[in-house]
Amino acid sequence: MTRQELDQALARLGLDVAAKERDEVVAVLPLLQQMLDRLRPPGGRDVAAEPAHVVKFPEG
Amino acid sequence: MVPDFLTIAEAAKLIQQRELSPVELVDSRLARIEKLDGKLHSFIRVLADTARAEARAAESDIAAGKYRGPLHGIPLGLKDIYETAGIPTTGHSKVMQDHVPKADAFSVKKLRDAGAVVMGKLATHEFALGGPSFDLPWPPARNPWDTTRFTGGSSSGTGASVAAGLVLGGTGSDTGGSIRGPSAFCGLAGIKPTYGIVSRMGILPLAFSLDHAGPMAWTTEDCAIMLQAMAGHDPTDPGSANRPIPDYRAALKGDVKGLRIGLVRHFHERDNEVNAATRNAIDAAAKQLAELGCSVRDVTLSPLPEWSACGMTIMLCEAYSIHEANLRRRFTDFGENFRDRMVLGGLVSGADYVQALRRRRELVAEFDRAMQSVDILMTAAAPSEAPPIDQVPKFALFERPSLTIAFNVTGSPAMSVCCGYTEAGLPLSFQIVGKRFDDATVLRLAHAYEQATPWRGRRPNLQ
Repeated sequence: MTRQELDQALARLGLDVAAKERDEVVAVLPLLQQMLDRLRPPGGRDVAAEPAHVVKFPEG
Repeated sequence: MVPDFLTIAEAAKLIQQRELSPVELVDSRLARIEKLDGKLHSFIRVLADTARAEARAAESDIAAGKYRGPLHGIPLGLKDIYETAGIPTTGHSKVMQDHVPKADAFSVKKLRDAGAVVMGKLATHEFALGGPSFDLPWPPARNPWDTTRFTGGSSSGTGASVAAGLVLGGTGSDTGGSIRGPSAFCGLAGIKPTYGIVSRMGILPLAFSLDHAGPMAWTTEDCAIMLQAMAGHDPTDPGSANRPIPDYRAALKGDVKGLRIGLVRHFHERDNEVNAATRNAIDAAAKQLAELGCSVRDVTLSPLPEWSACGMTIMLCEAYSIHEANLRRRFTDFGENFRDRMVLGGLVSGADYVQALRRRRELVAEFDRAMQSVDILMTAAAPSEAPPIDQVPKFALFERPSLTIAFNVTGSPAMSVCCGYTEAGLPLSFQIVGKRFDDATVLRLAHAYEQATPWRGRRPNLQ
């Protein structure tokens, strides 16, 4: 995400972020993206694999 | 003269035998807070008058033969995200500095029912995430072992106040390591119980499906005493488990011989490489546990960044959803650390969140398979001793994978245990993890380790 794309995203979110803080957020975005990429396994996940319903864990 | 340092178990025994007055004990802690907290900043609010009144009531009840148990007359502190009736609960934030709840949190009520004396509200990272911060209405807590050092967070005031002997125990919350981190850096015992054991009702949330509440104290025995009081079904918390609560303190007496321990060595030796002092201390702890009759073998799980990515994504999204309205309206009323971390939550998509939930199901299943062949997992609780407080990066959470959030993802009981000190005298720690709802085995092993080692005999020098 470029700085311009971040500015657009923040406008959509309605967040009034100072320029210095925007610069710092842009700098960390590659790490965020790396993290998000890990959630999608190579080759994808079975479309039928449902999300966890984990508010209450199974007790067995 | 009340000693500077007492455990809950020690004080309870003296109180029960009427060799120590709760009033005397509470007065001694208030004097200690007055003397030391100016440089520790562990308290946001000291409740001297009500604490004295509660201590007098405890003394009167005990004298009348109405002893309630090992928390009766014991001075505790509450992380300032635990709501307290008629007393401000701020989340250490300007955003909620005027918030005065009408009722106590469920777990606070249970602690009061057990006779605990509430000494005050303790510092936290802003809303249990943004810290250490120097731009909030209250300064960040300082580490009693070295006040230039970080306490860890987010239960920072609890870590500092218990280590300094200002209170005998305190409450923490843990969404990604916020009980275990400050326990590690401040040299405490701290347990994040199984998800559902302690109600979160009345505790300001960070991330609903990862939030756990639990105790922090000097010893595992003290944690067991506090957890006994805090645990229990609460129908108003949708994550609360409705099942019998075992006698955690009685369970400490069991044998640890034969327990099967899986050392997740790659978490702390490869995935998030700890420093040499921590690594050596963990190796020595594993050896000690083997000498106690446990079998210790290496266990391999998915790499730590996988667990961290799952937990962090869920945490950012759930936290953003909680604070979204205030972030829009009052962005600069939040501290810079909190608000900028939250911005990242706003940038994560709905699809990312759902992928994290799907990944969570896979990781929970993987964890459960691993636990079929062991009783306990063991790894680091922190990558090093406490760093300087002014050298904690705003986005540290993204630079190295968390050693602790994996067990928020799985909802497992997980505990920090002190396992030595650096040459400079800073505490080191390791982490013990159990099967869900087997908190008693985690406590039993930690207690056995503490009994076999000298680490609980050392306290910070605050003169």
